[in-house]
Amino acid sequence: MTNGTISIRDALYESPGPKAKKIIAAATVLSLVVLAALIYLVIHQFYITGQLDSRYWSVFARASTWRYLGKGLLGTLKVALGSSLVAFAIAMVMMLGRLSSIRPVSWIAVALIELSRGIPTLLFIYFFFLVPSQFGIMLPVYWKITLPVAISASGVVAETLRSGVNAVPKGQTEAALSLGMTDGKVFFKIVFPQAFRYVIPSLIAELVIVLKDTTFAYVVSYADMMLNARVLISNYDALLAVYLVVAVIYIIINYLLHRAAVFMAGHRKTAAA
Amino acid sequence: MATNEQTAIIELKHIDKHFGSLHVLKDINLTVHKGEVVVIIGPSGSGKSTLCRTINRLETIDSGEIVIDGDILPQEGKKLARLRSEVGMVFQSFNLFAHKTILDNVTIGPREVLGTPKKKAEEEAMALLKRVGVENQAKKVPAQLSGGQQQRVAIARSLAMHPKVMLFDEPTSALDPEMIGEVLDVMTELAREGMTMVIVTHEMNFARRVADRIIFMDEGRILEENEPEAFFSAPGTQRAKDFLNTLKERDR
Repeated sequence: MTNGTISIRDALYESPGPKAKKIIAAATVLSLVVLAALIYLVIHQFYITGQLDSRYWSVFARASTWRYLGKGLLGTLKVALGSSLVAFAIAMVMMLGRLSSIRPVSWIAVALIELSRGIPTLLFIYFFFLVPSQFGIMLPVYWKITLPVAISASGVVAETLRSGVNAVPKGQTEAALSLGMTDGKVFFKIVFPQAFRYVIPSLIAELVIVLKDTTFAYVVSYADMMLNARVLISNYDALLAVYLVVAVIYIIINYLLHRAAVFMAGHRKTAAA
Repeated sequence: MATNEQTAIIELKHIDKHFGSLHVLKDINLTVHKGEVVVIIGPSGSGKSTLCRTINRLETIDSGEIVIDGDILPQEGKKLARLRSEVGMVFQSFNLFAHKTILDNVTIGPREVLGTPKKKAEEEAMALLKRVGVENQAKKVPAQLSGGQQQRVAIARSLAMHPKVMLFDEPTSALDPEMIGEVLDVMTELAREGMTMVIVTHEMNFARRVADRIIFMDEGRILEENEPEAFFSAPGTQRAKDFLNTLKERDR
């Protein structure tokens, strides 16, 4: 797979000559020194302000802390999974609407997609928090966070799916039509399965956005990892320590998602090549 | 082949078509009989591919009438789909379904359109793949096959529908030279077995060998219609003479 694939770096720059190699080597050493100095400064600052004091970190010596954070993480993952599935379902409808040859249907779909993409997630959350209760509809707290996050993501997912559909060569449709397939079969048996494969990496990348949006759960008091982190902080007065650990957990999850996307993208290429 | 009791499979009557202001098909009249092999030739831009694609309505027409085995070609819906299922089509760029195995490419038509049970469809597909010489590739995906192999699979995919007639739209134009022969061999075999075929091609030796009739098109019109020997040895129009001469120059 190494030959044939070129990195963006290779594509943008010609390979360095002897002079450029010397400059690159010098700049590498210099930037490493700067980086080390920065890390030292941060740790030193933590040290002189007493942030490395064991009273801030002892909270992580308790199993109950990890259990509590783990419970929150489970909540986060539940919301992320639910939101993703609902977002995908809504996105499919919007994408099909947008591709419809009935003009008004297509316009409505475009409008909904733009609304979904244009309105901040927090506004959707306020909407589901405040409006349904006015009409006597009592949404469970899980849906008060899951639905708005899903709606907020659906527009982007719809456009991603559509770009996949547009990327499927026209010859695929023609071949399917000439076999006598009806439009519906052509779309669902031939075009969409290929379109979906094209966009799997982008869809996984969009999962990251959904996952980050779930941190709005505190607004509706749903116990996600972020909310539980806040509870820990108010009990143990260890703001920096707790947020640092939580940030690292989020980074690890999102990095794993990113790796999955890259893996899927590579996998798709080898399957097609 | 030209007997007195000829059944017309394809009838094109007064077909006209424009692409914007470009008049690409001008009053085309053409009848293809059962078992006949009609080869359409002409310079690029003459409208031969477009004509081929109108026959199963991959291109719409502005006016005129297309009759397939006695039925007027419907404009849309299930009826159009059913008629298309009776007309095989082989494309220049193969257009095998990229996400399906070779076997599934051949079975999907019968299974989805004709409702053939899986087992029967697969048996037929394997027989067809064997016939075109790629049966040992059945489990692969199209991208793993050479162009020539892909095009032979595309022919098998069309044959799986038991078509009344097959359309070939420049089937060898996207192939490396060394693969053209294997595809033409399959087509020659089909012609020998009596398949009704309409072929758009630049392969003149092949045309001469298999055609019952040559159609020469230029600028959206059918300029000549003749038996291959007569056409190639003594073309009746200056256009056709020029065209054949250009090809000879190229081959020299």
